[in-house]
Amino acid sequence: MTTKDQSGIDLMESGKLHALRQLILGLDQQDQDRLHLLLRDPHAFADEISELLPYAVRRLVEKGEITVDSLMPIIEDSMHKSVQKNPGKLVDILFPVMGPAIRKAVSEDIKRLIASINTSIETGLSFKSLKWRIQALLSKRSYTEILLANTYLYHVSHVFLIHRQSGILLHQEAANDSQQLESNMISAMITAIRDFVSDSFHNREDTSLDTIQVGLMNIFIEQGPHAIIAAIVEGNPPADFRLTMTEAIEAIHFNMAPEIEKFDGDTAIFIHSSKFLRTCLIRERKQRKARPPLAFIGLLILLFILISWVGYGYITNRRQIRALQEQVNNTPGYHLSSVKKKAGKYWFIGLQDPDATPFNEIVASSTIDSNKVKGEFEAYLSLEPEILVRKALNRLQPPPTVFLKTQGTVLEVTGAANQDWVEKLWANIFKITGISELDDSKLRVNHTEEPDLDWIIPEIEQKSFEFDINITEIDSLQFNAFQDLVQAALLLEQYNRTHHTLLRIIVYSYTSHDGNVEANLRVALRRAEHFATLLYQAGLKEELLEAHVKFVEEGQSPSLIRSVQFKVIDKNKE
Amino acid sequence: MLKKKVTMLGAFAVGKTSLVQQFVHSIFSERYQTTIGVRIDQKNLHIKDTDITLMLWDLYGQDDFMKVKASYLLGSSAYILVVDGTRHDTIATAHDLHQLAIDTLGKLPFVMLINKADLEESWEISSNDIQQLRDKGYKIFITSAKEGTNVEAAFYWLTEQMIAQ
Repeated sequence: MTTKDQSGIDLMESGKLHALRQLILGLDQQDQDRLHLLLRDPHAFADEISELLPYAVRRLVEKGEITVDSLMPIIEDSMHKSVQKNPGKLVDILFPVMGPAIRKAVSEDIKRLIASINTSIETGLSFKSLKWRIQALLSKRSYTEILLANTYLYHVSHVFLIHRQSGILLHQEAANDSQQLESNMISAMITAIRDFVSDSFHNREDTSLDTIQVGLMNIFIEQGPHAIIAAIVEGNPPADFRLTMTEAIEAIHFNMAPEIEKFDGDTAIFIHSSKFLRTCLIRERKQRKARPPLAFIGLLILLFILISWVGYGYITNRRQIRALQEQVNNTPGYHLSSVKKKAGKYWFIGLQDPDATPFNEIVASSTIDSNKVKGEFEAYLSLEPEILVRKALNRLQPPPTVFLKTQGTVLEVTGAANQDWVEKLWANIFKITGISELDDSKLRVNHTEEPDLDWIIPEIEQKSFEFDINITEIDSLQFNAFQDLVQAALLLEQYNRTHHTLLRIIVYSYTSHDGNVEANLRVALRRAEHFATLLYQAGLKEELLEAHVKFVEEGQSPSLIRSVQFKVIDKNKE
Repeated sequence: MLKKKVTMLGAFAVGKTSLVQQFVHSIFSERYQTTIGVRIDQKNLHIKDTDITLMLWDLYGQDDFMKVKASYLLGSSAYILVVDGTRHDTIATAHDLHQLAIDTLGKLPFVMLINKADLEESWEISSNDIQQLRDKGYKIFITSAKEGTNVEAAFYWLTEQMIAQ
């Protein structure tokens, strides 16, 4: 072993070689080993880089060498290619997000729509809205402002983020229904007013201006180191609204501190403060008193009245038309085929005998408005008894002492007439359509022109009408006898006229003393008056009629009880 | 969108408010100026493909009784010194305010407007004085708020300076 070898061994032994290496390379053995490991093992190298990479990116962003704008094309291209390659992948990624997002959006839209409809109904045409419109007109404020002030307990309409030193508006958020404001000017003025107040109190820390009251509005101010938030509030917000504002300004400073600190006039970046500012846009609707829906009830009542009125009119109209229809059908000489409604009028269509009662007379006697009804009738010949009698009367012109009646196609002529008229009767009778036979067996021919008292008076005084208990009016069996009475009575009146006499007919209604005399009298009187009325209606003058009640006395025939008899008396001889 | 605060500075009655009124359509009453010492206006401009909003802070005129509050200058991106051509002493006030601006804001773009050009026969400021100011590096515009002379040019020039910065 040489001296040289010996010295090397000594160096190694003493560890001086390591010291020398460290001096030359600046690395100890451990560092070298670590570097060797990184170079040899790609996994270890990747781990090392992954720790540094986020920090490096952050530094690059801070230096401005990487910006969102520069990254955007890369991200957009990547997403575009990913979608082109496999759209399903993106669908899978978005699936958990899309459902809730769509539901939320739809639900929000529906809520907004309902709220909008409700508001429109409540404020559209009500006394309240009218009052608010007048209020808005008088106060020169917009209707929306008045509406919000009256509808909400409190309402934050605008939130401004303002650069603290310059007073420049960095960003603003406004509630959907808020008015446009001169936001830039307001922001600057708020800052100027704050500066003024601060200077006036010699910049004391506790003298910052937190609230400015402007009429019904309050401007709430919350201050951060570099920016302030100003919220325009109507009403009294809850106590924790201040806390909300504080949290918002803190969040903005936390997230955007560099941008605010280095603000150089470019406000675009502050759109990202939007989500924080929006947390301050709160409102609470006034609790509405639970009142009965008077307007709705009123509307219902009105509707009910309207329907009732229309319904009543319709039903009444229908009833009147039906009644008229029945009346026309029952009128001799008519055959109604249909009733139609045309141009607001009812048209009665059918057949009408020329001798029938005119249609307009029937309408006039009904309750319906004659303007609503029109008749459209074809002519026809009716064989109804009333029409045949009417035709006979029109053609034969009988004297008042003659009465006409039909039995099928047979014309019965009764009463009294002179020879001339009887001749006229035979000459014309068969010219009347519908009459095939004439029965004049009961027609008495007067050979003189004078009425014959020898016939008239017995004819009247021999008439007797008997009644059952409590019956006061003649029945159909008594009618013919009554017609004979009328005929004789009319002749008596004719005699009075020609001879200037006052021969009167006294109606005696007989009763008895048996039973309830008062009731007997009442019934008897009613019978007497009934005959007097009938004779008057037949054409006799009232002054020639008298009605009396008589008791059947002893010695008189009991058959007189409940009978009506007649007596002719000359008044001049009384 | 750029927004810049520009402050109008000058002695009492040099025509600051009239210059602003000439430049913008004002909506705020002058009462604010007498109440809190400042009146604010806004002017939107489009210069060199840039939309810019100028927030013009028209401060009350400084005199022996009232000094301009430095706090109103804070956040300004530029300022305008206004001098009354008919009053020589307003130059000194402008100098004081210029110094206040430098102390408060540091070096910023500014322009000096020598106003009331329409009253030139009554001028106390000579061309010599103006030259001296130019020699100090001041950008000077001779303006007339009454007739509108050079008002727009001065504001546009200052705005271009701010954009260029």
